[in-house]
Amino acid sequence: MDKKLEQLKKQYMDIPIPNELDFVVKKALNQRKRRKRLLKCLAGTGAAAIVFVIGINSSPTIANAFSKVPVVANIVKVFTFREFKIEDKNYHADLKVPAVANLENKSLENGLNQKYLEENKKLYADFKAQMDSLEKNGGGHLGIDSGYQVKTNNEKILSISRYVVNTVGSSSTTLKFDTIDKQKQILITLPSLFKDDSYIAVISNYIKEQMIRQMKADPGKVYWVSYPGGPEVIPGMEFKSIAKNQNFYINKDGKLVISFNKYDVAPGYMGTVEFTIPTDVISNILVSNEYIK
Amino acid sequence: MKQIENSLIRYITENKENIYRLAYSYVKNSEDALDIVQDSIHRAISSIQTIKNPKAIKSWFYRIVVNTSLDFLRKQKKVYIVDQETLESYSPGINDVYNNIDLERALDDLPIKYRSVVVLRYFEDLKIEEVADVLDENVNTIKTRLYQALRLLRVKMNAESVEEVK
Repeated sequence: MDKKLEQLKKQYMDIPIPNELDFVVKKALNQRKRRKRLLKCLAGTGAAAIVFVIGINSSPTIANAFSKVPVVANIVKVFTFREFKIEDKNYHADLKVPAVANLENKSLENGLNQKYLEENKKLYADFKAQMDSLEKNGGGHLGIDSGYQVKTNNEKILSISRYVVNTVGSSSTTLKFDTIDKQKQILITLPSLFKDDSYIAVISNYIKEQMIRQMKADPGKVYWVSYPGGPEVIPGMEFKSIAKNQNFYINKDGKLVISFNKYDVAPGYMGTVEFTIPTDVISNILVSNEYIK
Repeated sequence: MKQIENSLIRYITENKENIYRLAYSYVKNSEDALDIVQDSIHRAISSIQTIKNPKAIKSWFYRIVVNTSLDFLRKQKKVYIVDQETLESYSPGINDVYNNIDLERALDDLPIKYRSVVVLRYFEDLKIEEVADVLDENVNTIKTRLYQALRLLRVKMNAESVEEVK
């Protein structure tokens, strides 16, 4: 009997080991480890976002804390209030939420800060959803960056630009701006600067002229605008007019700057595009020279 | 917990061939056996917190492999599978292999509960207590099963050899 068992055992030990075994085992061990790490990281940032959102929405203490940020002489300022991060081999997110402090008009201040937070909250949620669906379909690369830049901060005006860079293979950039009258404590809109809607045509025409001038001077520059002898424009892409609430800011010299997102008026390699509007072009239709000089 | 996870990963990496053979002894083909290995590792890592005694990783993990295999068999109709290689090596012309196929068949013919005991005790060299642990039975039950298994094997093999003699 022992001999038979020996034979049986020998047969058992002779079961051939396939080459794939090593790979299967490694893969099984790795997969689990990676998934756990990612979940942990998401749970961490998610929790931080939730705590923060609840914090600013529900607690007057936290909302008021904005005004108590220690600054000398109540200077209106912009700072990074919160940063959301996801850092993985395939996924990258870095969202910087700006906040404005020391505005006397608290409802304006809170409104802006709320808006900045909501925007980033949405970006984060969208990014996470995209990431999850990508992961279900076998994984991929995804990146998002958001942040802000103070364009102008003088005694009269605060202009903030916010950017979002989405990276899925190629990247797209979206810009948004807020300009605040620090003395009157109001948010300045593009229409509010002008007497009537004629600014749309005036500015659009000026920008078209500039586009054509630039393209003629430098063959490397391309805008989606057509002119005799110019390159053909893809139908439907042609730049016709700025929007009523086109992105804008007021620069340090008191000049109006019109901004376009990547792909809006030009091919991707041109990036985001800006045009500074000379004040004499619009001086007739400006409500006043209070902001724009 | 981190420590247990590390020793589990080390255990699996170092003993993958044994794990594979154990799975193979149930499902009898390499693709399914590889699936069982993979599933077992997933199950093990996700239920790592159920390890009570870090020294018992071996029998804890064997239990997962055995249960995963049994689940798999339950989902399948019981068929005897002989792969191409086995068929060829046992093809007519090689004389003294009949015994082996009988032997193997004798083991395969045993009900699974007896076969598991034999495989774990004699082929994987587990102690009776460990076998009891893997199969979630008490020691006496395992002892009884082992004797019965050996008796059945002997009966079968003797019966077959008697036939052969005739």
